[in-house]
Amino acid sequence: MADKPSDLVQGTLDMLILKTLALESMHGYGIAVRLEQMSKGVFRPNAGSLFIAIQRLLRGGLIKGEWKSSENNRRAKYYLLTDLGRKKLNSEKREWGRQVAAIARILEAS
Amino acid sequence: MSLLRSMMSGLRSLFRKEQVRQELDEELNGFLEMAAEEKMKNGTDPHDALRAVRLERGNLEVAKEAVRSAGWESFVETCWQDLRFGFRTLRKSPGFAAVAVLTLALGIGANTAIFSIVYAVLLKPLPFKDSHRLVFIAKKNASRGWDRNPISPAEILAWRNQSGAFEDIAAYTQRSCVLTGVGEAEEDPCEVISGNLFPLLGVAPSRGRTFSAEEDEAEGPRAAILSYGLWQRRFAADEKVIGAVIDIDGVSYTIVGVMPSNFSHLYASPYGVLPELWVSGIALSPTHVWNDYFGIGRLKPGVSLQQAEARTNTISVRIEPMNPDLKGWRAQLMTLRTNASGDTRPALFVLMGAVIFVLLIACANVANLLLARGARRANEFAVRNALGASEGRIVRQLLSESLVISIAGAVCGVLLAILGCKGLVALAPRFLVKSVPTLNAGAADFRVLVFTLVVVIATTLLFGLAPALQRARPDLIETLKETGRSSLQSPRNRRLRSALVVSEIALAMVLLIGAGLMVRTLAQLSHMNLGFNPTNVLTLRVPLSGERYKEPQARVQFWERVVSAVEALPTVESASVSRGLPINDWAGQLFTTSDEPNPPAGQVPAANYVVIGPDYFRVMQIALRRGRSYNDHDTNASARVVIVNEELVRLYWPGRDPLAKRLQVGGQGPWLTVVGVAGNVLSQGPDAGFHPEIYIPYQQFPWLLGGPKHLVVRTSGTVKPESLVPAVMQEIRQIDKDQPVADIAPMEQIALEPVAQQRMVMALLVSFASLALILSALGIYSVLSYSIAQRTREIGLRMALGAQRGNVLRLVVGGGAGLALLGITIGLAAALALTRLMTGLLFGVHPIDPITFGVVTTVLAVTSILACYVPARRATRVDPMVALRFE
Repeated sequence: MADKPSDLVQGTLDMLILKTLALESMHGYGIAVRLEQMSKGVFRPNAGSLFIAIQRLLRGGLIKGEWKSSENNRRAKYYLLTDLGRKKLNSEKREWGRQVAAIARILEAS
Repeated sequence: MSLLRSMMSGLRSLFRKEQVRQELDEELNGFLEMAAEEKMKNGTDPHDALRAVRLERGNLEVAKEAVRSAGWESFVETCWQDLRFGFRTLRKSPGFAAVAVLTLALGIGANTAIFSIVYAVLLKPLPFKDSHRLVFIAKKNASRGWDRNPISPAEILAWRNQSGAFEDIAAYTQRSCVLTGVGEAEEDPCEVISGNLFPLLGVAPSRGRTFSAEEDEAEGPRAAILSYGLWQRRFAADEKVIGAVIDIDGVSYTIVGVMPSNFSHLYASPYGVLPELWVSGIALSPTHVWNDYFGIGRLKPGVSLQQAEARTNTISVRIEPMNPDLKGWRAQLMTLRTNASGDTRPALFVLMGAVIFVLLIACANVANLLLARGARRANEFAVRNALGASEGRIVRQLLSESLVISIAGAVCGVLLAILGCKGLVALAPRFLVKSVPTLNAGAADFRVLVFTLVVVIATTLLFGLAPALQRARPDLIETLKETGRSSLQSPRNRRLRSALVVSEIALAMVLLIGAGLMVRTLAQLSHMNLGFNPTNVLTLRVPLSGERYKEPQARVQFWERVVSAVEALPTVESASVSRGLPINDWAGQLFTTSDEPNPPAGQVPAANYVVIGPDYFRVMQIALRRGRSYNDHDTNASARVVIVNEELVRLYWPGRDPLAKRLQVGGQGPWLTVVGVAGNVLSQGPDAGFHPEIYIPYQQFPWLLGGPKHLVVRTSGTVKPESLVPAVMQEIRQIDKDQPVADIAPMEQIALEPVAQQRMVMALLVSFASLALILSALGIYSVLSYSIAQRTREIGLRMALGAQRGNVLRLVVGGGAGLALLGITIGLAAALALTRLMTGLLFGVHPIDPITFGVVTTVLAVTSILACYVPARRATRVDPMVALRFE
């Protein structure tokens, strides 16, 4: 843990949560761990912002939650993508790619 | 979709709060434990693991709070908390709450009551199909200044068939029907209508049908449609009434329909009477040019009122050459709503303006109370602020308190409005009550309640926002330093409160001047010399119909017997008969004079045609200027005579001797010789000026318009005319028990009717203005009392240093008087600009009447000084020792 975890770019947490749920359903802590792993420790969202984002996605109908028992027999709320969430993730990915490419072009122009 | 989901989920959090909270707890605790277990796998002891997780992931309690307050429902919840808190705070100061609620109740109540009338009279769509396309059709003659004149069948048919502006035009005319055959004879107002009237309005009888085309014909079968009221009353709601035959004016009519109970008469002018039944046989013919009818038209879609008027004008120009009687007449179209609201529009706008002023004053007063209270609660808010409550949060809490006050005020206000509407009905002109049948029901209309709700929110912001904003930004250090001492009023607070008082006085000034102008108008109207004396005169009407009175001679005999029988009664000074009474009856007739027997068409002179008995002038106390009155020698056998009034002489025989001149009425019949000139009578109301009048002796000319209908009786001395009713009725029954007697009224009451609207406006404006005066006096009083309470120490110090009571009195009164003077000046300026809007309601008073302006200024100044004096006196009684020890 050489560097301090960075703050997320505004508005990207929702997209990243959708991405982590794209393969399998997960509980809140699982999402947090997965985000950390995938970003190689760069992003470590705190519980407040994570759950607010989860609530927002639930209300937007992009994910669903259901109570299940976890690997070590603990009750936990698992979240999974809805069809709407999957579509949203794809469109966000495209949009993100476009923006990144555009920003890169600006930064590399000399 | 997602909005709906968000709402559902929010509602779930609101209503199943406990469950949602538990789930969130469980989820977050699980998060914490899983994270800790992960750490413990690496050998960290549990306590340190938990601590590390908290460090890494943030405090979980804070996270819970953040998740909870992220949804919209948490806003609702804190609002609800604020409201409950506001309610509790108010309960702790019942005095303040009562005054504030009552003040607002008066303001909101007055607004709701007046708005419910404005809505019902001016805004509410009429209960007819597509009522925006319906127009009332009369005609006007611009060159002679006549308008709202009835129209002729020739015009109705030409406009309908040739203008292309109308889908259809229906016609109606009002008359009275005497019903005989079933039970006692009775006279009812009725209308002759064309069969297409009800279909055109989009209404239908609840039982039976409307008139057929055949029944519209002159010689067609006669049919009648009953009003719901008549059906209930006279026919005991008998379902078998359809097809039954009744006698109307001695002719048999078949009942073909009954109108529903909620049928509205607002297609017609509101000044007429409500018909009890409708009869067929209108017989419109293109050759008839007498003006007996009014039209109701349905415009084709997309045709505007102006376009329709332009097209009918083209037609009028086309048919004029064929009918000289129609020369100069053009259709006058107005929407049914305009027609139905009569000339109430300016009066209602003035009243609506007045209640808005009252509400503003009420808001200013409550804002003042809140500011004073806010100053006392300064510490409370400083502490909250110091503990981290944001400005927005404090403003919200204060506004919630204000909202509680205004909701309570609105509830009381709507109750007041319902009572107030009842009172208004008693005050309102008769036609207004008729055009607003729901007036009695009060403010129950949905849209009126929406209006009240808007008023409540506006009010809350008006009186609550300034004090709330001021409280939310307290000077923390200063306020907290002063804890335990009564804080000195901040200059900002004092300026705001002074501004409020000044605007209250200015608003009250405008209202008082408006009320004053109306009082002066009424005084002018009631001091007008009507030209006759309405006191101690009883009037009633006997229509005399049926086979028995077909011959004019029979009618003359009936009236001769009635008059001599009534004159013989004790306490009767004189009695006579007439066709037409001043004020409530007008029968325009064209006439020609012997000096100019063939006036050009369209310029034939017209006069009010009154048929009278010999003692008519004595009963009404109308002056006789020249010549003689009638006597019993003017009979059917003697030379035809006539009496005219001064106005007619002035217009048609200026500077010449009218006696022995001759005239002919209605273009037919004998020439009449003028034997007398009567004084002018304000026969169309005190504000309508004089008109030419012709008085015809009934014993000579009883056939035109059917002879006399009214009995007029003057009682002697102080005997009330009403007390005579039973005796007179008995005499009439003895002469003919089958004749219905209608419209029994003292002449005084009839004379008051034209000014009923002004009287209502005056009564309301006077009460609103008194309210405004009291509220603004309270405003000054409370501001001064409060500032004296704040300055007790300063005053004590001044007195200890040698200030005399007089000095203190001057200091305090001077401060208040300065505010009052400023308010009065602003009010005067506003009144100068605003009273012009009342011109239409005023009579004999200029909108900038120096007497009214002077008196009102004095009244307001004196009231303000008194309101200052009471707290000032209290200030002079401050004991310097007590005051200085006070802190």
